[in-house]
Amino acid sequence: MPQGHDTDLLAIRCADCARSDSLDHDLRPTAYLPLPAEALAGYPDGVESVRRFSRRSFMRGGIGALAAVYGATQVRLPHMWDAAVANAAQPMQRSLVVLFLNGGNDGLNVIVPNDASQFAAYNTLRGPLARIQGPSSGTSVGTTVMPGTGSSLAFANKLVAGTANNGGTTGFDTMYGDGSGGAGSDLAVFPAADYTPPNLSHFSSRDFWFAGALQKMSTGWLGRWLDLYGSAVNPLQAVSLGSGLSKQVRSAKAPVCSVDQLGTTSFSIPGVSSSDVDLSYELGRLSGVPAASDNAGLGKARGAYGTTVQVAQQLKGITLGSTAAAYPNSILSTRLRTAATLLSAGLGTRIITIDWGSFDTHGNQVASQDPQLQTLSRAMAAFTDDLTARGIEQNVVTLVFSEFGRRAKANASNGTDHGAGGTMFVSGTAVRGGLAGIHPGVTSLDSNGDLKVQTDFRTVYEALIAEWLGGDPTAVIPGAPHGGIQRYDAGTRLMK
Amino acid sequence: LLTTRPDHVRARHPRAKAHHHAKRRPHRLHLPPLGTRILTSPMVDRLFWRAGFGPSQADRDRWTGRTAGAAVEYLLSTPQGPPAGPNPTNAGKPLSPTSSDTDLVLSWLDQMVRAPNPFVERMTFFWHRHFANSRDEVSPPQLLLTQTALFRKYSDFGRNPKASFKDLTYAVTEDPSMLRYLNGEQNNAKPPRIANENYARELMELFTLGVTNSAGQPNYSETDVHELAKAMSGWRINDADPNNVVSFYDATRHYPTPVSVLGTNAAMTDRQGVDVVLNSPAHAPYLLTKLWGEFISLPIDTGTLAQLRSLYLPGFQLRPVLTAILTHPALYASPNEPTLIKTPVVYVVGILRALRLGITDGSIVGLLDQMGQRPYFPPTVAGWEGGPAWMTTNGLFARFKAAGQILAQPGLTPKDSPSETPEQAVDTARLAVGNPWVADPTLTLLRDYAHRAPQSTPKARIVRQLVLRTFLLGGPDAQVC
Repeated sequence: MPQGHDTDLLAIRCADCARSDSLDHDLRPTAYLPLPAEALAGYPDGVESVRRFSRRSFMRGGIGALAAVYGATQVRLPHMWDAAVANAAQPMQRSLVVLFLNGGNDGLNVIVPNDASQFAAYNTLRGPLARIQGPSSGTSVGTTVMPGTGSSLAFANKLVAGTANNGGTTGFDTMYGDGSGGAGSDLAVFPAADYTPPNLSHFSSRDFWFAGALQKMSTGWLGRWLDLYGSAVNPLQAVSLGSGLSKQVRSAKAPVCSVDQLGTTSFSIPGVSSSDVDLSYELGRLSGVPAASDNAGLGKARGAYGTTVQVAQQLKGITLGSTAAAYPNSILSTRLRTAATLLSAGLGTRIITIDWGSFDTHGNQVASQDPQLQTLSRAMAAFTDDLTARGIEQNVVTLVFSEFGRRAKANASNGTDHGAGGTMFVSGTAVRGGLAGIHPGVTSLDSNGDLKVQTDFRTVYEALIAEWLGGDPTAVIPGAPHGGIQRYDAGTRLMK
Repeated sequence: LLTTRPDHVRARHPRAKAHHHAKRRPHRLHLPPLGTRILTSPMVDRLFWRAGFGPSQADRDRWTGRTAGAAVEYLLSTPQGPPAGPNPTNAGKPLSPTSSDTDLVLSWLDQMVRAPNPFVERMTFFWHRHFANSRDEVSPPQLLLTQTALFRKYSDFGRNPKASFKDLTYAVTEDPSMLRYLNGEQNNAKPPRIANENYARELMELFTLGVTNSAGQPNYSETDVHELAKAMSGWRINDADPNNVVSFYDATRHYPTPVSVLGTNAAMTDRQGVDVVLNSPAHAPYLLTKLWGEFISLPIDTGTLAQLRSLYLPGFQLRPVLTAILTHPALYASPNEPTLIKTPVVYVVGILRALRLGITDGSIVGLLDQMGQRPYFPPTVAGWEGGPAWMTTNGLFARFKAAGQILAQPGLTPKDSPSETPEQAVDTARLAVGNPWVADPTLTLLRDYAHRAPQSTPKARIVRQLVLRTFLLGGPDAQVC
């Protein structure tokens, strides 16, 4: 069997590629790219060590994971590796991690109105869901005033109550710092971020957020940025962590990829030993049988099988190395650790997307949302610590959002229904922390009983492009307001 | 290696060609001729995979040479009979679906494996994916068993020939599992309380209308969601006895005054709310397109959709629509090269049925999870994405492992045939696993393997059989139907 012949993957895939238009459109990978175990194994000495790799050494090292590659049918695997190696020789570029919270996170219980009249109105609307004003007790979740906001707002205490609720480590409160946007104030908060008129379907609203437009589009906002400013050959420039590709990074031509997990697996049959038959070899041959040109289903099945054979043949066991960062026990942590590993591996990765959580809290909200928010706070802080330990924290910014917020008034089920105006976060040592948008308060709601949207989410995207990733935001986000963000203190910059 | 390119027309009309030409009809839905289509053996396989969990040799023997109409009539008019074969077990014990979630899943797999009329269970599973409820959020598990029984009632057209989607939607709206999963039991809309919108929204978005129509226009407004939620209010659950959980209407929780939904303004019960929604012109295209896609890989054309609609409305009856879909030529296209990726459940149940095995072990549930489809645990209220998304690396490892693991069950060990040629070894393997479809070039490769494989000892020949059988049941060609 060929070992490390990097063209073979595409040879198996090519019959499949030709059919990509006829089957489930743009979700189909066009090629698969093995990720080297060595590159993913972590670098105790820092990112410098990646530069000793060549393409040859990459391939010899065995595969640590497999990236499903989308968007670029013409890219040959050797070119991908050349691109990765070339990137590895460059200083790390600025990158963006996008964390999507599934289901519609209730921002009103993340950032709580804290002055007397607003808190009273909030308390009436939320009833048993409301956080109490003031510090936590053994049975109640209180709030902590957000520095720099004139005490009119507070973080829900689960997120920020210092060491007790953050597991003895850091959380949103420490990332937010003094709210000044200076050194150590690295978490920017956007209350009531959304668009108008709001669409309260999970699936439609996600499409808008992912497209960066108030309509469905075939490309995502980050995919369009990659088309304009990314690499034409390096699929590792954008990685969706999970089994599928985020709609945010769907591109017209730039290659992008998804990586499911760093794990090990192989083919076996009970009662049959590896000395009896080389299953990968035989299954590889069976996978290579061409299907009729209009048979997308069979083409997909054989193509994916061929990919799986390649993984089985070359995959070597790899786990995420140990980390000093105090990640909570969560799949979110695993993905953030994978993100930190990829970013520090010097593979030219600019974009990473992660989907996480279950925030559709129609009933018994507190029991569901609180633990998730606590995990989110701790995992993001640990991610920051992880990046710092790897020496790349100055090059990574993280964006967090959900497809919408929740209705201001609680429903009859101790939950909240879909509502406009969720909360966005942007974090990183380069980010100007603090209150980066306006809180509309809860005494004047929109006609639907929702928060009045204050920040158009597209202005945050634009700021990330203009001030961080680079490029012309008007070319990437057509139809956006282009007005810049509007901070609580009347500033317009997202970055320090 | 050459690819065989099926001659669609010839294969599709082996005996009814003259009849077809005499009619000079376009390739659209035209029911009487379709019903008279004569089934070839590959077409029987196609029908029993798409409408069931794969054919048995008895199915092939019975239906080859007869009409598609007769076979579909059989599937849609034969009441489900008692399960055939031994009762299921897990680790030697009878299943206990209400105390073990593994057994809960196994209990449904068992019904699929032993169903005399496979269509009933296949259709029941469709409803589970349409009105998707998850055990993750539904307790006690008896609620899901009751809901599945409800779905089964609307899939057994021998018993319930006039089953309508409207009646099914009424029942689902008041079903304890759904009331729990989408918070209907908490929908107390007596003023000044406000309604819980969860069910009302998904009823329109996922179960009946879809967000937008084919022209991209919204099928309902946010106001319609708020107002419909009021109409749905008042239902509660009495779960004091987990084995007899019932829903009941509590008028003190129902929104008492008129609501305005999709242009209708009236005081509404939940059923009247369902009526209003199903009267939307968006409903029939939405449901019919989804039903079509369940069985057929080609997209539906507007003419066929219009004809299906005329069969479906105004009574919302399911059987005429399903008959038209299952006899449509598009289902039988490319008869010599299957086109639809099997869902994990159809794949696993298909293997068990082909080998005439029952449920005796829980490990298959974990493998189904790795494949991405554990019944009773859909990832969202929208069910499973499906289609090409099934073909993941993790999923294919699990599929291959499942085939090998099932073949390793006691009693299936191949017998040694010292005089068997490599070609005969392949034939033996095909027969042993129920003669599944395999492409001609694949067959050539299997024979090539059989030639090269060690075969000088009994053990080597048995290993060769095991490998061939696993390739046939778990290899690339086994992923489509």
